[in-house]
Amino acid sequence: MTSPDGSRQGRAGTRALPEDLDRDLMAVGLEQDPTAFRRLFADLAPRLKFFLIKGGMIESAAEDVLQETMMKVWRKAGLFDSSKASASTWVYTIARNVRIDRLRKENRPEPDPEDPCYVSEAPETGEQAVSRKQDRERIQKAMALLPPEQMTIIKMSFFDEKSHGEIAETLDIPLGTVKSRIRLAFGKIRAELEVL
Amino acid sequence: MSIRHHIGDDTLMAYVNGTLAESLSVVVATHLAICPKCRKSAELMEDMAGLLLMETETASLSAAEEAMAETIPVGVLQEDRILDRPKKTQGYSNTGVPMPLADRMPAALDDIPWRTLIPGISHYPLPRTGSSKEKGTLRLLKIAPGKTMPEHSHTGQELTLILRGSYIDDLGRFQAGDLADLDSDTLHQPVADTAEDCICLIATNAPLKFSGFFSRLLQPVFGI
Ligand SMILES: [Zn+2]
Repeated sequence: MTSPDGSRQGRAGTRALPEDLDRDLMAVGLEQDPTAFRRLFADLAPRLKFFLIKGGMIESAAEDVLQETMMKVWRKAGLFDSSKASASTWVYTIARNVRIDRLRKENRPEPDPEDPCYVSEAPETGEQAVSRKQDRERIQKAMALLPPEQMTIIKMSFFDEKSHGEIAETLDIPLGTVKSRIRLAFGKIRAELEVL
Repeated sequence: MSIRHHIGDDTLMAYVNGTLAESLSVVVATHLAICPKCRKSAELMEDMAGLLLMETETASLSAAEEAMAETIPVGVLQEDRILDRPKKTQGYSNTGVPMPLADRMPAALDDIPWRTLIPGISHYPLPRTGSSKEKGTLRLLKIAPGKTMPEHSHTGQELTLILRGSYIDDLGRFQAGDLADLDSDTLHQPVADTAEDCICLIATNAPLKFSGFFSRLLQPVFGI
């Protein structure tokens, strides 16, 4: 892993590119760089807050979750691996876990790669190993092709963190329709990712 | 292990966004530990969430929130990623099953104190942690060769992960590692189809419904 010097270039006023976020998060992890953290914060915090409020959280609760999430981002940045996920994905999973801990107090067990029973992936062939940047672009293209009624449900799942039952109620459609739209959406995305 | 039956995308999506009942999440996480294909799907979903996050609108921050950008780097210590690792390599049990399940097992799979339900079929209910306000069950089930589970359907969702042996039902043959993801309207009647006991992990988010008169007698035994 290298930390390119380009990470310190100013880019005031412009919207962050995914690569910028990745670089800043690496700089936080490797060099405890407070400037990189401030940039990340400016890019991510207003979006995270929007996502928390939209999910039905009141201001004060959203402030707590935002604080805990950004503290974890700073604390755990050394664990970020840009070959495995993009910075925005990594931050999403942290915010999600903070929110689960807070709202549900339910365990959400996760597989552990150090577990002797864990089955690792067969090594990727050169063809399969595409860069994160390419991956992101392909997923974005595939998502753009989804019909709105499928996209709505996917957004509600991620950002309102509604269960399928709650989505069915909100949209006044049968539960089976919610499930089948999700299955159709991912079937389509996978098919697109194979051709793109 | 070649896995043929995987987690449904709707179920996986609920696991990814944290709305899946805990009992079902244990089964999903156990399958994920042994299935790179489903892990890849889960990663795709998280990637999508990350992309969508950067496309959302922004909310304006309060002064207290703005201040976090300055105070966090000063006041919070970073975890050392090298020191963080070795802690985890201890404490893996010898139950022969992946951690999400092993954490909840009282003993290795060979030493489970099975409780007989009906001849040839026994079970062992597993504890769930968390608030457990939701209804739902998590159990190990052992079906002797040639035995049939009573025909049943579900009021909610049922996830079955085969740990050992295999069974066959209307939906096909399920072998070790396979996961059956069944909705409320599915009626099925699995038969253990080899010389080996079929051991599976079953989670529901609502009690099972048995059809048929004799099966209904079992309801109090199976449903909790
Ligand atoms: Zn799978």
